[in-house]
Amino acid sequence: MAKVEVTIVTYRDIFQEEAKEIGRYSDEYRDLSALILLDRGDMKLIETEDGQTVQVDTDWGTVVVTAKLSEEDEEHPGLAFMPNSPWSNQLVSGDTGTSKIPEFKRIRAKVSATDKEVDTISDLVERIRAD
Amino acid sequence: MAVCTGCSLLCDDIELECDDGKISLTKNLCRKGEGRYRSLREDRLVPAVDGVKVSFDEAISKAAEMLGDAENPLLFGWSNSTLEAQRIGIDLAKKLGATIDDTSSFCQGYLMEKVLRGEYPTCTLDEVRNFADVLIYWGSDPSSSQPRHMSRFSYFPRGEKRQRGYEEDRTAIAIDVRKSPTVVITADGFFRIPPGGDAEFIEALLAALGGKMPKVKDKKMKKKILKLGSTLRKAEFGVIFPGLGLIYSLKDEIDKLTPLITRLNEVASYKLIPMVGHYNMRGFNQTLLEETGHINRVSFKDGVEHGPQFAVTEAVNDCDALMVIGSDLISALPAAISRKVARIPTVAIDPHRNLTTDMARVTIPSALSGLEAGGSALRMDGVKIEFEPVIESGYRSDAEILSRIMEAV
Ligand code: SF4
Repeated sequence: MAKVEVTIVTYRDIFQEEAKEIGRYSDEYRDLSALILLDRGDMKLIETEDGQTVQVDTDWGTVVVTAKLSEEDEEHPGLAFMPNSPWSNQLVSGDTGTSKIPEFKRIRAKVSATDKEVDTISDLVERIRAD
Repeated sequence: MAVCTGCSLLCDDIELECDDGKISLTKNLCRKGEGRYRSLREDRLVPAVDGVKVSFDEAISKAAEMLGDAENPLLFGWSNSTLEAQRIGIDLAKKLGATIDDTSSFCQGYLMEKVLRGEYPTCTLDEVRNFADVLIYWGSDPSSSQPRHMSRFSYFPRGEKRQRGYEEDRTAIAIDVRKSPTVVITADGFFRIPPGGDAEFIEALLAALGGKMPKVKDKKMKKKILKLGSTLRKAEFGVIFPGLGLIYSLKDEIDKLTPLITRLNEVASYKLIPMVGHYNMRGFNQTLLEETGHINRVSFKDGVEHGPQFAVTEAVNDCDALMVIGSDLISALPAAISRKVARIPTVAIDPHRNLTTDMARVTIPSALSGLEAGGSALRMDGVKIEFEPVIESGYRSDAEILSRIMEAV
């Protein structure tokens, strides 16, 4: 399966922030969090379309989220965006360097199309508990 | 009038009507604040020990026992607690010989420290509204995170010396890696930088301010930065609003920003207000600074010690009991670190159920500040805002819960 390498930058979104206030377990929060915004060209490379699921892998973890076409005016191959959430946090390195701040905004990852379903918050909780 | 504790703007103009003890109408809340108000009825936490519902008193005793018996307790959270609760929390940490840290440790801490120590000039948001003419949103996106920032204070309102508002009196600049909703508002003032490109942008701006050619490959960008240099020089009252984008890019190299702040203040007048998220992060940082000389990452095990080893991301490696108050730590950290947190016996105090409370041994429900409990907090610019509860509920305030734990330890 074709894979594309990207740097993921996380961001905050007001609709997702509102959903977070109401509850981490709501479907609304998942729908607004389990996302990756990809460049049009990168989407083509992995033969995926807006609204389909993709698997995102890093050395630190894996998540299945919905791919969305980025709305940036300029092309940005190799750059992807994810709302900051427990989904993006599956991918962040556990090494925090001298600052002791995790690398939340520069995550090196591989993205590929998948038939799997989007991870639920319970899936993530299980993975955190399992180790 | 009520105060919203949805973010560090602590909007104090919230109108509401109550019907039968419930809020029936609100005015002036943003979408995020609205979410906080609606959360009054959603996913409220119950007192429990090991997943079994217990009385409030039993939960307090178990929490006190766990923390009191621990060799290396860690007390974390604090930025969603009132000043009153934070003070008791610091006393509790002293009594327990615990490590104490807050969300600023992996958020705005490095920058907030500069501001609180007086190393970077700052001002209040009221001064911004009245006087600011050049606004720089750097790696910040108030439209998403502090939604009424631009309408109450920084961009849209008319002020004492800014009678013509944003149309003519204010210039907004956004430096970001993406076209955020704030960038859309600032339009021509958008400077797109690559992830981690902030240090290079600082260099380019310093060159432009010094009348030199910025070392940037893209010709269009070079021109734009030169023009920005002249705009920045003309400011009467400039303000930088740095967000997590800038902090995470520079981290402990935040000093790279210092020459720019210095230079800007040689050619004009510039202030800086960190774009804090949680409603009282600044309150905790200031209170701990007054008590210990440090804004976060402190251990009371052997007098007062401070260092990176007491950052929550490190301290979870060797703490044997954890208390988390007003923070969903498990959600906020990389899963690689959350897995460690999940193994620590934890006491979680929160108004709501979340991933951290679900993994905690003891859960203690608390009141939502500003709605069910009163107190005070420091707005992102350091202005103290006081609030009263606006509805009655059986939930206890953070301050009361912490006092009870303190008595029981
Ligand atoms: S801007 Fe912040 S404090 Fe004001 S209403 Fe919105 S969430 Fe509440």
